[in-house]
Parts: sequence; structure tokens; C-alpha cells
Amino acid sequence: MSLLEGADLTKIYGDGCESCRARTGDSAGTNQCPVCGSVVACADVNLSVAEGEVLGIVGESGSGKSSLAETLALAADDGGEGESGSRIEGEIRYAGHEGNLLEVDYETRHRLRNGDISLVHQHVRDGLELDFSGGGNVAEKLLSAGWRNYEAVRERVRSLFEETEIPVGRMDDPTHTYSGGMQRRVQIARALANDPAVVVLDEPTTGLDVSVQARVLDTFRRVQREEGVAAIVVSHDLGVVRLLADRTLVMRHGRVVESGLTDRIMEDPHHEYTQTLINSVI
Amino acid sequence: MTETDRPETTPTDAVDSALESLSDDGLEGYNYAYLDEHTKREVRRSILKAIAVPGHQVPYASRPMPLARGWGTGGIQASLSILGPEDTFKVIDQGADESVNAANIRRLATETAGVETTTDTTDADVIQTRHRIPEEVVTDDQILVLQVPITDALRTVDSSDAANRRRHAHKNYGKMWVHLYENVVEWGEINIAARYPTMVAGRYLMDPSPIPRWDVPKLDDADALFVFAAGREARIYAVPPHTAVEPLAFEDRSFQVERFPDQACDVCGSTDTYLTEVDDASESAGSTGSRGGIDGSGGSRGGIDDDGGSDAAETETGSDAGDDGRRYVCNDTSFCHKRRSNPDLPRDHHLDRDDVDWGPGTTAADRGGEST
Amino acid sequence: MGYVAVTAGEEIIERAADLFEKQRLDGDAETLSVVQLEGQLERLTAQAASEGGLYAPRLAALAVKQAQGDTVEASFLLRAYRSTLERWDETVTVDHGELFATRRVSPAYKDVPGGQLLGPTKDYTQRLLDFDLEAEDGREGEPDDPTAEWDVADEDPETVTNVMAILREEGLVEEPAAVGETEPSDTTRTPVTHPAGRDEVLQELARGETGALTALGYSALRGYGQVHPTLAEVRVGRLPVKIEHPYTGEVVTVTDVEVSESEAVVPVYAKRDDPQFAFGYGLTFGRNERKAIAMTILDASIQLDGRDEPAENPEFVLDVIDGMDSFGFIEHLKLPHYVTFQSILDRIRSIRERTLEGDGGANSGSDPAPTEVETDD
Repeated sequence: MSLLEGADLTKIYGDGCESCRARTGDSAGTNQCPVCGSVVACADVNLSVAEGEVLGIVGESGSGKSSLAETLALAADDGGEGESGSRIEGEIRYAGHEGNLLEVDYETRHRLRNGDISLVHQHVRDGLELDFSGGGNVAEKLLSAGWRNYEAVRERVRSLFEETEIPVGRMDDPTHTYSGGMQRRVQIARALANDPAVVVLDEPTTGLDVSVQARVLDTFRRVQREEGVAAIVVSHDLGVVRLLADRTLVMRHGRVVESGLTDRIMEDPHHEYTQTLINSVI
Repeated sequence: MTETDRPETTPTDAVDSALESLSDDGLEGYNYAYLDEHTKREVRRSILKAIAVPGHQVPYASRPMPLARGWGTGGIQASLSILGPEDTFKVIDQGADESVNAANIRRLATETAGVETTTDTTDADVIQTRHRIPEEVVTDDQILVLQVPITDALRTVDSSDAANRRRHAHKNYGKMWVHLYENVVEWGEINIAARYPTMVAGRYLMDPSPIPRWDVPKLDDADALFVFAAGREARIYAVPPHTAVEPLAFEDRSFQVERFPDQACDVCGSTDTYLTEVDDASESAGSTGSRGGIDGSGGSRGGIDDDGGSDAAETETGSDAGDDGRRYVCNDTSFCHKRRSNPDLPRDHHLDRDDVDWGPGTTAADRGGEST
Repeated sequence: MGYVAVTAGEEIIERAADLFEKQRLDGDAETLSVVQLEGQLERLTAQAASEGGLYAPRLAALAVKQAQGDTVEASFLLRAYRSTLERWDETVTVDHGELFATRRVSPAYKDVPGGQLLGPTKDYTQRLLDFDLEAEDGREGEPDDPTAEWDVADEDPETVTNVMAILREEGLVEEPAAVGETEPSDTTRTPVTHPAGRDEVLQELARGETGALTALGYSALRGYGQVHPTLAEVRVGRLPVKIEHPYTGEVVTVTDVEVSESEAVVPVYAKRDDPQFAFGYGLTFGRNERKAIAMTILDASIQLDGRDEPAENPEFVLDVIDGMDSFGFIEHLKLPHYVTFQSILDRIRSIRERTLEGDGGANSGSDPAPTEVETDD
């Protein structure tokens, strides 16, 4: 069995109606239902990730990939903190848990998010407390998981900083004094803190210079392989997916239009949209 | 509602007659214990709910009281709601019964609820207190009402009550723990003085009011009921008897109470009580206007200590000061008074068992030795 | 002994109160009567009534006298008294069109139906100290009535059309979310929790401290916010108070109250496909146009529900707007705090000891502690 599976995942913003699914998607050329105006962020998405595997999700902005990433990371519907006015359907199965992860109570969701399934947010300010120190941001994960030995926390934070190539000497400085690349690394260190089974990266290169992008991705790829952690990487950038992902889903208008091994998709894209994507990069 | 249902207290047919009826400045016309019965019932219901969910902040409709908010209006509403005419009431502020604000609160209770008052901790049925828990063990016959200025320990890390309510609901205290972690990073140890964040029954993080750390262990597994009431912030919470109360700390950066390594009370000689220091240098500065004898010879200039304490201290002024000019005295003036005539009086002297754990000086580890 | 609480028996407390009372009586001047205060310092009593949430001009004047002119203290006296009163009945909702305006200006239009009605105001005069007022002291007889010679027509006042009604008819105003069918909440009986409903927001603002509302409202105009409203109308006048007759059930007017009202449109378009003005409202007891306008700004700002600007954050505004809360808590700092201060002293000494010892003990194996506490010594 795979580690994490999504079945028929659907997320709709708005009231929704019977026509929503039929009148949106790749064939309809839109993700907004012409009948009720609801936005079908994603619909009927099926995917799976095996242990240690990296799954890429690629598509242009508005294709629903970030909604899908948040859904998979159990980030949405956060007891008031998440977006309002949206509805999620479908099933998420996880090897470490019985039942549908979309139906667990808050405490279980909190525990899973803290220990099993980590999210690296697209926007740093969603993922980090910029007034905390960089080390404090990473420590929060450990402390939330019940670590109560200060020196042990320090040691773990220090080793995570080393692993993600952040200068350990900056550990106690406020995060807002960090460069963009360092902040992204802190997010990654934080996501890895409790040895999760899956890390979801939502647009990991947002806001970074091209040279910094490459170094951050290199670091992530190395750590991901060393730790053997599975990952779901969401990006509009084919280069990111090509670098990290074993398999890739291509999304458009809230639907998966093509999936397969990343190499195959890059070299032999079947869907017209995928071909356009690849051509536009090259 | 018909006219006959009107209370007789304040005629409202004309402003003049209303003023007339109130002109004697007394509280004669007010309901028993000042608050109307509906309000007292509501406060009691909130207290019961708070007891049922230890450490959880229960909103209640705090009434405007004839005391300024922040001056014990929550405490007095809780006290007045649970006091009956047979009860004996003690009010302390910073450990002292004679503090002017304690006296004012006590006067409101005696005038409207007709209760007896006492300064003896062991004689009181209800003890209203600001910033202290008495040194003498409070028993299962007694209720301690603590005045609370800031109801939420999480306020330190987030000013939004809406966000903090969610954190409590989800038992999400990660941010508080990071605060402690960063505290140790910055200072090498936890730098929180009073208002020390504590977990109640392993579930809710609680602000124990600005009691010193010294008093926090007294909350754990106590015989007495602790009611925390805030008037301005309109919240009540409680620690029922025999509830686990644990201050947040790391295994290797443990919770520590205030240290008085070589100090003893300058008045009674106690070495196992919470002391506050008296800086002799401040005395001359303080004498310019606000001090005076309690006999009133100085007009309204306030007395500065309880009766006996000042006598004793004044005779010794300067004699016992340390090198740095600091002297220490017991903060709990009522217990200090007892200790002066009986220096070895244990803090559980009024109990028929002697294994009570009541904070520093009473725990097994502390017995027979001075904690340093 | 020195730094111990200002302890005192009740006698001392009474003496302090007596001294306070004596301040008022010192000097040769005649004592002010409550009637004088009510009639001649109406702004002061109106502010006390507004912040006290109790419309009783005579009691407000008494409270102002007792508080020696401190409006927050006076409103505090009124609130404490108000909370002991039994509630007999609730008034019927009145249409603000029934306001009998003594003053009405509409900055939004040059001409409005009913006209601009300046009423009693010194808004358009030079603010020069009027030494004639001082000469009035001790003068025999009634001062001259400056309006005595006026030739006032006897006809009925013209109907004053509400300016917002004009904009509403045109569909230009986005109506704030309705409170719904339920009775509005009473924030004096049910504590406000966040997110607060607009009914709660308006109640808290209406009882808010004038200076606090002015400052926060100004903050939005000053650039800490988006709301720069155009006032549709500012009105001062008397609003009827109506109840259902206990026997007949008919709505009857029992009295009226003086209020200041302000309405504004805000060019923040609520919906992109149907652009409309946002809307702000202010109402307060007595003549206090400043507070009513500030309330209008804050009402409009709070509806934006922003988090970054103080005036747009409802939790922030409601937390700091109440005079009784802020007055009490600010002044409570005068109470002794030596228990907590001792605790703080213990912390800083402990940290200094360890830091000055060269950071050896508890912190070994850890990063060096920063040096803030080491300065000087």
C-alpha cells in the first residue's frame, strides 16, 4: 500500500450546485461554475505517494494545485483559522492512521500535522512567526510534540540547522532578520523537525532569487533522500518538479489532465496542455 | 411591570425624590451583598461552571461596581456572590489586611453583606486576595478568591483573545513554550517573575494571577477551592480542590520559587515565608508626604504598616540592615503577627495532620532545611 | 518602615476622602449648584451621561460635581449606580427621522432638502478668550439674552429629509449586515466576545470614552487606515423615547433625549460588480458631535475588519475604548505592587549572579547568554 492516498478529492469555494462538476474542468475551460458562480478549486483528484517518493504537482496559477496541497497537508478548515466558505470532499488515506483523514477531529489533525504530515507554506509569513528566532520557529514543532528537555531541543534545532545549511550562529536571531532563502530553509527545518512521513511543499521557490532557488532545492533534495521522507511538491515551475519529483501530475482548471513518471512527461507529454507547458519553458 | 413591583429603594417619580433617597450616602437601600440576586446567581453559575472545567475562563456579565475596575471588582463580585450572613471574610492586598484598598473592599462587604471580618487566615470562610496566597494552609472549609488583572497567560504571546480562545480550545500551547524556550535562550533561565503560566489538570493553561512563584505550588493538589475573578475582563476561572497544577518549565530548566538565601524576617525571624525587602534609603525619601502614623495625627497621611509591625520595626530601624541597606520582612502580615509571639508556629498548626504540602517550607524536601 | 503598602485603617481612608472634598470647598467662591452644572456646563454633563450610558441629566450633573469635573470618574459613578437599577421596560425602536433637529449640517451636499441648519454652535467663530464672561461674575441680574431681539417666524419647522435616505434611494449605500431577527445583545449584561456583532460594537462605541474615540478615529484619518468618510449629515436634536403602554399596548412617547448623530459614506467600494459606498454610523447621548463623528469613522473602519490598522481591528478598538476599563486599570498601578516587584527583583538578581559568574553553571553547554544584563557592572 502507498503511504498517502487521495481519492476523489474535491474542494469547492462557494455554495456549489449540481452543475458544478459537469460545467467546470479542462473540457469546460474554466474552474468557475457558470450556474452558481462557485469556484471548483479541484475535483475528482486521485493520487498516491509511496514511502520516500516525491510526487510533483504542476500547473499554472489558479489550476487548483495549492488548494490540493493544503487539503493534503490537512491545513484547510482549521477550526476557524482556515479559509471560510469552502467545502472539501473525498478521502485521504494514510498508512499511519485508520480511516479518512478529512474526517478526523481537530486534535488528531493537529497531531498528524505536527508529527506525520508537514507543510512548507508558499508564503513565509503563513509558516513562520517572524518575531520568533529562527531556532524558536523550529523548536515550536518539537515543543508542541512534547519535548520538555531544553538542551535536547537546542541540540535537535542545531542539527536541523546544520542539515538544512543555515548558519547555526544565527539560530537565536529574530527570523525577520533572515534572508529569504534562510527563511525558506527554516521552514524546511521546521517541517522536518519531527521526522514526518510526508512533507508537502507549496511553491517552494516563491519569492527567491533564481540562484537561491537552486541551492534551496538542492538542499531539500539531499535531505529528502537522506531522511527517506516522502514529499509532495507543488509548483508552477516545471524546473522545480523536474529536479525533485519522481512522478508528476499536471493540473488545469482544477482537474488532473495528465500523470506519470516525471521523465516520461517531460520527454513525451501526451496532453496538449502539458506540451504547451513544456514548450513554453524551453 | 407594575408600580407595586418597584423596589422601594429608589423612587423614580421625580429626580429630586430619587436624589433625596440617596442623599444619606449609606448603602442601606441596596440589596443584600450589594448585587441583585439575579446577578449573584449568574456569578455563582459561572463559578460552578469554572469548577467543572478547571482552568477554563468562563465569561460572565461583570457589573459596574462602586470600585474602579482593576481594583478588585471581579474579586468582590465573586466574594459577594458566595458570602452569606454567617460567614467570616478576610481581605488581603499584597499580603496585608491593612492595605487601603483591602480596607475599602472589606468595608463594602461588611456594609452590604453584614459579614464578620477577620485578619486571621484560619478564621475566615472566604478570603479575597490580591497577588498572594496566605502562608498558613488554607483548608477544605475555605474558599480563596483571587483578584485577576489579566485573565490569559497567552496574552503574553498574543494580544488577541479570539486567537487565544482557539488555542485553549485546541490545547495548542506551542507558542507559549517557544516563549519559554526563547526566554532561556536570552537569559539562561526562565525570566518570568509573577503571573507564572501553569497547566491545570493537564488541560488548560492558566494565568494564576500575579501571585509570586512562591505561591504557585500551593495551588497544586490543595484542599481549598481557588476562584479567580476578573471584573474588567469579565472572566471567572477556578482551581477546584485536589487538582493538579503544574508550572510550565523544562526538565533541565526547572521552575524555581523566589530565593531568600540568607534572609529572615526582620520582625518575626521567619526564614520559610515570602519576604519583601525594605530599602532603608527609601525611608527618608518616603517621609516627605505620604507617611504618617496610623493614629491619624498626620491628617490623611497613611500609616505604613500594620499596627504592631511598625512598632517592632521602628525600634529596630537600621539595626539589622544588611550591607546593602536591605532588610526583609514577612509579606503575610497576619502570619507574621502570630510568628512574633510564637516563632516556631508551623504553617499547618491549625490542622490535625502535618503532611500538608503548601509550597516552599512545607514540602518534604524543604523540611528541616532552608531552600537556597 | 519604608516600602510597605500604604496601610491604613478606615479612619485614614475617610480622612483622605474628606481632604478631597475639602478641595472643592476651599476658597471664597460660592459652591456650584447641580442645577448650574446641568444648565451651564452641559457639554460636561452630556459627556458623563454618554460614557456612563445613563441618560439622566440631573444625575450626570451631580456626578460631575461629585467627581470635581472628572468626566470619566463621573461616568463611572453613573454606571455603578445604573447597574443597581431595576429594569422595568424596554423602549420601542424609534426611527431617527423623528429626531427634532436643532442643528443639522450636511457636508456632502451644498443644498439639501430642509437646508443646512447651523443651530447653536461656535464652530464658525474665532476662538478668542471672551473676557466679558469673567466680568459676568458677580453682576446683578440676569445676563442679556443675545437672541432677545430676534424676529422668529411662528411657522412650523420644515421637514428635514435625511441625507442618507437620498443616497439609499439611489442604491449607492451598502447596508451593513443586518443584526437579524434576534434582539440586539446587551453588552452590559452579556460580555463581549470576539468576533463581536455590529450591535455590540455600536453599543460599546456609544459608551466609549470621548478622548479614546477621538484618538482612534483620528488615527484612521491620519493614515493608519483606509476610512476617510464624507459626512452625509451631522445632527443634534431630541429623539422621542417611546414605550408600549402597559395596558393598551399602544406605543406612547414618554419623554425625549438629546442626542448627537452622525452618518457617513465611505468611498470603499463593498462589491466590485455593484459598487456601493460603505457606511458608518454614530450616535451618542447629549451634544457631542466630536464623539458621534469619531464613532462613525470607527464603525466604518471596523466593518472593514482589517488586522493591520488599529482602527480597523474590532478587537483592538473594543478592548481599549471603554473609559471605565482604561481609567481603572491605568490607575490601579498606584496600588502597591511590592510582592510582584520582589519576584521581579529575584529574577534579575539571579540572572545577574549567573551572568557575572561567567556563565558557568546552569547555562553550560549552551550558547553564551547575550550581554544585555551585563552593561554597567
